[in-house]
Amino acid sequence: MKKRIVVFCILIIFVLSIPVYAGVPMTMAEASVNRVLDVLRDSKLKSPAAKEAKKEKLRVIYKDMFDEIEFSKRTLTRNWNKFSPAERVEFVKLFEQVLEKSYIDKILDYSNEKVNFYKESMLSDNQAEIQTKIVTASKEIPIYYRMILKDGKWKVYDVVVENVSLVQNYRTQFNDILAKDTPTQLLEILRKKVKAQ
Amino acid sequence: MKYYLTLIVLFIFPTVGYAQSSGSSSIVLSQALSSTQTVLPASNADEIPVKSPDKSVDAIDDEYKDDQNLDYANDTFKEEKVEIADPLEPFNRAMHQFNDKLYFWALKPVAQGYKVVVPEPARIGVKNFFSNLGFPARFLSCLLQADLSGAATEAGRFTINTIWGIGGLLDPSSGKELDLQKQDTDLGQTLGVYGVGHGLYIVWPVFGPSSPRDSIILVGNYFLYPPWYIQPWYASLGVSVYELVNNTSLRIGDYEALKNAAIDPYVAFRDAYIQYRMKQVKARKVKLISSAPPAEQSPPINPALPEKVN
Repeated sequence: MKKRIVVFCILIIFVLSIPVYAGVPMTMAEASVNRVLDVLRDSKLKSPAAKEAKKEKLRVIYKDMFDEIEFSKRTLTRNWNKFSPAERVEFVKLFEQVLEKSYIDKILDYSNEKVNFYKESMLSDNQAEIQTKIVTASKEIPIYYRMILKDGKWKVYDVVVENVSLVQNYRTQFNDILAKDTPTQLLEILRKKVKAQ
Repeated sequence: MKYYLTLIVLFIFPTVGYAQSSGSSSIVLSQALSSTQTVLPASNADEIPVKSPDKSVDAIDDEYKDDQNLDYANDTFKEEKVEIADPLEPFNRAMHQFNDKLYFWALKPVAQGYKVVVPEPARIGVKNFFSNLGFPARFLSCLLQADLSGAATEAGRFTINTIWGIGGLLDPSSGKELDLQKQDTDLGQTLGVYGVGHGLYIVWPVFGPSSPRDSIILVGNYFLYPPWYIQPWYASLGVSVYELVNNTSLRIGDYEALKNAAIDPYVAFRDAYIQYRMKQVKARKVKLISSAPPAEQSPPINPALPEKVN
């Protein structure tokens, strides 16, 4: 009798755990990207006047999809500790604005390209890489999302476009700046950048 | 007898083809996906509304407050140092500026005008045509890397695309039926595969980011790229400029987006170039290992393989 219960329990554990383990990050990423595509394809939002409404909707999805603190920390690495908590809050906010303003037009330019999700590799219990491809008429653009599990939710902390990791790219730039300037000066550079865009 | 043989051969082709193209992971994944989709909503509904209102605020505050050991050295994605010596920085920055102006003042306006006049399929055809002419350099690179299957693929592609692709304007061999993909390799990568490093960073006028190692691509192209054999020299130059305009017309906006996103564009492009080249060389190495004859892939090597692939 006991044996049977144990076997039964093990079976239940297997049934419950395997599917959750295997595909969650991929489903999360795919769901988020599909929500973005839905907004972009939405015929009600096609007019130029609806651009702001579109941006607002995309912002909500972005917040849900990305872990901007993890992203900022990884670009600053050890320099993160040189920032005061207030400066960190401002940095995360400014950095997010820089990214939004530089990529939003590219995203809004979207014209029915296909996005293929084709591979998920778990790198540890709480990190995964999702490989996707954007297929256009003249080329294929590989885009990888690196995700981390925090508080039961998978969030993107790095995007790798054509083999170039965004986090690493910004890390090199910030390292270069912080080698000669202080965090306050870096924030000033970012503020100017946001204004100029 | 002959009839049966052809039937068997015909039968083998499709099965082999499918085994290669669809792979096993996608099947497993799609199964996993369909099952998780049912599980997910339930777990979300249970946990998140209860937890998040009070807890998440604290969590975010804490994340801002903590000083941490942010080394990421033990990270699963070994974030390798992708730095490069840049002793020529003043010169490079000047060249970067020069190329930037060249793009915005000359190349982009011309490409935009050209884009209006010539429809996209034609421009893609022209791109394919020039890409097909890059065959000698890719073929030689594959041979030098002892990548015989890559060299064979390139040779097959060149023959098929030249004959059935109207001199290379079309690319029938990369279609689903033949699945002969262009070998993304060059002489710089070949040196990289054999362990030659970049040395230092150079920005060439017109050609852009490079290094002493990767400059061998430019030298190699001088001998291996057919358009450079056109006489007189200005005709050859004209063809090259046309190729540049045509390729640019297919990706107007990419450079601008990258530049706008960067805090320091010069450093951003330097880093992007180094990352891009490093991963290409790595991908070639992985390919060479995995395409080696199966006899060499004895069990002791295998456990190491998945790490390298990732």
